This record gives sequence, C-alpha cells and structure tokens, in this order.
Amino acid sequence: MPELSSGQRVGRESGRFLRCCGLTTTPPSPCVQPCCRPLCYEQSERRLHKSLQMKMEEMSLSGLDNSKLEAIAQEIYADLVEDSCLGFCFEVHRAVKCGYFFLDDTDPDSMKDFEIVDQPGLDIFGQVFNQWKSKECVCPNCSRSIAASRFAPHLEKCLGMGRNSSRIANRRIANSNNMNKSESDQEDNDDINDNDWSYGSEKKAKKRKSDKNPNSPRRSKSLKHKNGELSNSDPFKYNNSTGISYETLGPEELRSLLTTQCGVISEHTKKMCTRSLRCPQHTDEQRRTVRIYFLGPSAVLPEVESSLDNDSFDMTDSQALISRLQWDGSSDLSPSDSGSSKTSENQGWGLGTNSSESRKTKKKKSHLSLVGTASGLGSNKKKKPKPPAPPTPSIYDDIN
Amino acid sequence: MCKDYVYDKDIEQIAKEEQGEALKLQASTSTEVSHQQCSVPGLGEKFPTWETTKPELELLGHNPRRRRITSSFTIGLRGLINLGNTCFMNCIVQALTHTPILRDFFLSDRHRCEMPSPELCLVCEMSSLFRELYSGNPSPHVPYKLLHLVWIHARHLAGYRQQDAHEFLIAALDVLHRHCKGDEVGKAANNPNHCNCIIDQIFTGGLQSDVTCQACHGVSTTIDPCWDISLDLPGSCTSFWPMSPGRESSVNGESHIPGITTLTDCLRRFTRPEHLGSSAKIKCGSCQSYQESTKQLTMNKLPVVACFHFKRFEHSAKQRRKITTYISFPLELDMTPFMASSKESRMNGQLQLPTNSGNNENKYSLFAVVNHQGTLESGHYTSFIRHHKDQWFKCDDAVITKASIKDVLDSEGYLLFYHKQVLEHESEKVKEMNTQAY
Repeated sequence: MPELSSGQRVGRESGRFLRCCGLTTTPPSPCVQPCCRPLCYEQSERRLHKSLQMKMEEMSLSGLDNSKLEAIAQEIYADLVEDSCLGFCFEVHRAVKCGYFFLDDTDPDSMKDFEIVDQPGLDIFGQVFNQWKSKECVCPNCSRSIAASRFAPHLEKCLGMGRNSSRIANRRIANSNNMNKSESDQEDNDDINDNDWSYGSEKKAKKRKSDKNPNSPRRSKSLKHKNGELSNSDPFKYNNSTGISYETLGPEELRSLLTTQCGVISEHTKKMCTRSLRCPQHTDEQRRTVRIYFLGPSAVLPEVESSLDNDSFDMTDSQALISRLQWDGSSDLSPSDSGSSKTSENQGWGLGTNSSESRKTKKKKSHLSLVGTASGLGSNKKKKPKPPAPPTPSIYDDIN
Repeated sequence: MCKDYVYDKDIEQIAKEEQGEALKLQASTSTEVSHQQCSVPGLGEKFPTWETTKPELELLGHNPRRRRITSSFTIGLRGLINLGNTCFMNCIVQALTHTPILRDFFLSDRHRCEMPSPELCLVCEMSSLFRELYSGNPSPHVPYKLLHLVWIHARHLAGYRQQDAHEFLIAALDVLHRHCKGDEVGKAANNPNHCNCIIDQIFTGGLQSDVTCQACHGVSTTIDPCWDISLDLPGSCTSFWPMSPGRESSVNGESHIPGITTLTDCLRRFTRPEHLGSSAKIKCGSCQSYQESTKQLTMNKLPVVACFHFKRFEHSAKQRRKITTYISFPLELDMTPFMASSKESRMNGQLQLPTNSGNNENKYSLFAVVNHQGTLESGHYTSFIRHHKDQWFKCDDAVITKASIKDVLDSEGYLLFYHKQVLEHESEKVKEMNTQAY
C-alpha cells in the first residue's frame, strides 16, 4: 500500500468516499483538523483477503498453481491502488473545482509561533517562570484596579466577608454619621491593611494619619471584649463600637489601658481611642490631658518604645521612625489641626510662626536629617507645665 | 460538453440526505452503533465534515497566514494566575476546560443563556473562559470574574483561604447545573428530576445501592445520581482492606506490585458487599421484619466523565491528617466489573475480569489528574492535563510545562478524571430507561 500522509482521504467504493477507520472519540469541531487517518493496514488486508476469497470462489481451486494465485493477488492489489489513487485525484479535482484547494497552504512562519517549547526553566510558550507579578484586574464590585495576586483578599473585604471587614465597616458607619468630609478617606482604609498593596505611593502620605487600625490584632486584645460582640464571631453582624466606653472601666483597668493605648476621648462618640500611644490622630498633649483627667495631676505619659508597627505599609524603618518623630514634634502641622488649635498651641510656646516655618522646611529637606527635628522635640517638652485643660471642642474638630 | 467531472450542490445535498436516511435505518437495526456522536437526539447521521461556504472561502482567501493546528501546538493550553490561595480553583478549571466533550460543547457555542441577568451566569463565564484558554494567548489568564461569581453563587466557599479542590468541583458543577436552564435538549416535561443539561449529560452517573435482607433475600434497590466517586484509602480509620495475598493481578493493566494499592483495589473495596451488623437492622420490605442485611454499591449508569476522589484528608475524632499513600492508577480503565450488571459474580467475592471482548462501552481514558502537595492545613494544588493522546502537561497556576506519562502516573493523585472512550447514541429505548431510573 502506498504511504499516505494524514489529511488525505482515500479510496472510493461504489460511489462513496471511504473514510479511514472512522473511530474518533470526539466529533471533530471546525477548529480541529478532521480526523482522517490513512486506510489502515488491517482494513486493507481484510479487503484484500475478501477479494481473494471471492475470486477463488469464482474459479475452482483445484486447477490453480502458485503463479496463477500470484497473478490474482497482483490484480487485486492493482485494483486497490488504482482505487485509492483515483479517490485522491477526485479529491483534488473537487477541491480545485469548488475553489478551496488553496486552503491547504499554510503559513509556516506563523505556525512556528505556536510550537510547544520544552526546555528547562521555560514554560511551553518559551516564557520564563514567575514574571507575572504585575498582572492587574478590575474588581467587579468596586471597579478598582487590583493586583491580580491580591485579588482574592481584596474581594473578600470588598464583599464584606473578611475578618476585619465588619469592624472597618462599623468604623465607616460611625464616622460617616458624624463627618461627611472624611468619608472618602475612610473608604480606602480597607486596603491599607493589605500587605504589598500596590497603590500609588503618593497616596500613602495622605493616609498616614489614619493608618493605624484601632482594632488590628496587635492592639491590646484584652480590651476588645469590651467593645461589644467579637467581630470574629459572625462576619455579617456589625460591631457597633469603635472605641472604648470609659464609663464602664474601673480605675485599674483605666490605668492599664492608658499605659498601652492612646486613650484620647473622641468628642462625638465619647469613647477612648484604642490606638497606640503614638497614634497620629491625637497629640501627646491630648493624651497627657486625658491621663491627668482620669488619673490625677501626677499622671505621666508613658514612655513609648520605638518598636514600630508596620502592618500597614511597607516603608523603610528609618522613614517610619522619622515620620513618627515628625508627628510627635509637629502637632500644629498635622492635617487634622484646625486654625484654632494652631493658635492655642502657638500661644503656649510663644514661638508662633517661626517654629512652624522651621518645621516646614525640615519636611522639605531629605528625610535623613534628624538634627532638625530635635528642636521640635525639645520644644515639645516645654509643654509639660501647662495646666491641664479639659478637652475642648476646638481640638477635636477635624480629628476624626 | 467539457467531459469533465462536475460537482453540483443540489445533487450532492440529495445524496447526503439519502445517505443519512440509509444510516438511520442501519443504526436502529444493529445493536452496536458504528459511529460515535454526542447524545443529542435526531443526529442519526454520519458526522458531516466541515465544508467551506462561499463567503468563508473569500474571507480565507484574504488571509494567507493560515495555520493548521497540529498536536505540537500550544493552542488549548494557557496558564491561570493565582489570585491568592486560588490554586484549587485553577486546577479544577484546567481539568474542566480539557474535558473533551465539554470543550466541544462550549467551543461550538451551544450555551443559550436564560438567566435573568447574564453577567451573573456561571455558564456564560465558563464559555468565555473556554474562549480565553483556547485563544492561543501565551500570557496567563486572570480568572477574577470566575472567582467573583463562584463566591456569589456558592457562599460557603467564599473567603480568602485555602480550600479543597474536590469541594470546589462539586460546588462549581452544582452552580453550572443550576444555570444551564436554557440548554436542556428535549426537556422531559413530566419528570422534573431528569435534567438534561450538559452537566448532567456528562457528569451524572447512577450509583445503585442494594440492600439484601439476610432472611428472605429480598433486595431493595435505590439509585442515586452522583457526580463523583469518593474512595477510602488504606490506612484511614474507616478502612477495611481485605488484602488477600496472591490475588489476581493486572486488572486494567496496572502494574501490580505487591504492597502498592491500585485504583482498581479501591474500586473493588467500594463495590464490595458489606455486611451491616446486628446493630443496624433494617426493616425488610418483603418479609416485614427487622433483619440483618448486606449492602452493596455498584454503578448503575456510568457517566461520560468519571471523577474519582481519594479521601486523603481525614477529619476523624482522633486526628486530622493527610494520607499520603501512593495509589497507582492506570491510563485506561474498564469499569465493567463495577457495574450493577456484574454484581452476581461479585457476591461470591470473585472479581469478574474484563475480557477483551470488543465491548468498549465501559472503557475510560485518563485525561486529568489533580495533585495536592503539603499538609492538611496548608498546601498547593497542581494538575496534569492530557492535551493530546500521550501528550501531558503540568499546570502549576501560571506556568505550563511539558510532562511525561511517567510523571503523571507517579504522582500521588487526589482527583482523577476519566473520559469514556466510546460515546453512544442515546436511542429512544435507553432514554426511556433513564427517565424511569431516576
């Protein structure tokens, strides 16, 4: 039998084109080459055998010798070859006549693009592994562009299903009830807690003031129970308190709370801030005030260790340290300060605009100069002798 | 006259129709059908090859950069980005998109969406997923829409955490089945239980449970639809392994090395007659008394795609662990010994060896393997996919690499996907039987 390559139809018997074995498990779909293996040898052998049998029945076997048989076999063989050739000819003829003969010409260059690559270190497309960190997608819920490898944790928070989602949502509700201005800031808080959050770095500076989640697991856990139901219990129930209600606390508890947490009382919620002692939303002055208010005039702001809480964003350590120092020293320059609080601070110091100006220049300089901020700290300490004043509405205006 | 051969469209059309009629006649009289089709009624004809129409020819003429898809083409393979612990989803997607019959369904655009809001239809998303994965695009696809839809429709799976691939498979099939409303071919109006959507056609098998009363030998039979078969492994606390020495070997061509459990062993155990103890007496329907009984599970109806799940994650009262015993599984599997029809020989404890009878009805080929590496708490899923016969690829999230058959067969195995080799015509008689069974 002549060697036939795949793709050719063969044979023609009684007016119908013979297909090949015809056994395919899947019906061929248009995009896949129709299965047409050449007439398999078993079938052609069978046919040969059958024709031989038929011919032998025609003539009696007795008068035949080897050469005659040979001749018959040759004849049958020639028949089959002729059939298949003719079949092929008809095929080509039909293709030319109906105009699809050219389809067989394929473009070898573009075919090379799709060849499977089988080399170590490369995938089948010839690409290097692990280069897909920059893939992004659009969240169907909030329509924001998210890094693909962080999509699942984002979606969890976005749909309100995560561990912290209910707490974040609560805070948002509590805040939006009182303040309309800061709503847009709070919205982005969900993602601040994402690690490797690939948002624009320019936004980080703006969000620094609210970067500390008061309810993150690293906060003093013992006090979480006092907040109401545990938010871990049911992610779909909303937690109604974001701070600590100090009326319920005893003196000992208050004392211990004030040694570990900011404790500044928010004017709107009348609750104590549960953030760390270096919480940038409140000043040291406020913290001191609160402590004196609760614990008496001898209360001292506990020394804060310089351990950093970097769960929010990945900055370098030195940068974080410097930003904290700046917050501590430049209370009158924090974005949350209103004009009234600035003036009251300045009165206390008597330095007026000079100090603020000098501090502004410090910020413009490179972050490496620690010398500049020292004076800021120094002037901060002068505030101690100031008489305690109950929290005034002016200080708390823009904080939350 | 030009004395040339002429091809007239009308005459050819007539010839085709006549041939179809002749074949239908042939099909209804013979017991064994010679041509394989999807089980869509009315298709009693030879599968027509694709012939170009005039407008298509013109279009093709304008585009000389044609490619013929060969078996060494990357088309059909594409990586999937891990969205954060979603390797379990990626493996199941790879397995489903390489299920031949499902692939043909979706690539021929057979889905007609009847959902009130098509953007929430998981079947539409599957369709789009198939288009993406078969596009030939080398950069990996980001299946974020799929994740979103699955979380919406299968709430119990929602959440950023590592999950079980098998659980995901069942949930995904369930949602797809629910959303397939528009595709039911020949809805059986009287029988709401018999859905004829593509998921049911492909994945649903019938598991027969026979409870035999020891006293009167009356058998009570129930048939439950199932999408997969979960198999206990040796070494689990629930196992009962009658590992008798010197038993017959190389059923299904598995290399039978003593000490290594095979898939066939697991199936044998699954379908063995189990004697329910005296504490579990069941009221027999025929003799109306509480008697001890024997229960046996067999396959009543084999699905087109059989999914085997090894119960490797054990959550018992004593312990939670992963059973990492290697189970050897074959490339080709014959399910005949585990059918309900082979039950009689099983009652004696003998396993009827499949003979080489030309009966291909119950023969299956492996096309996807999902593996888990790691511990019960944390691990990573990868999968092996058969792209063409004897051409396997390892899919590890975004990275697809060529794999050898040995790699596939040596892997631990957690989910195994087998596809029937021969798809039958569903004759009217068989359809009737199926509706009664459910």
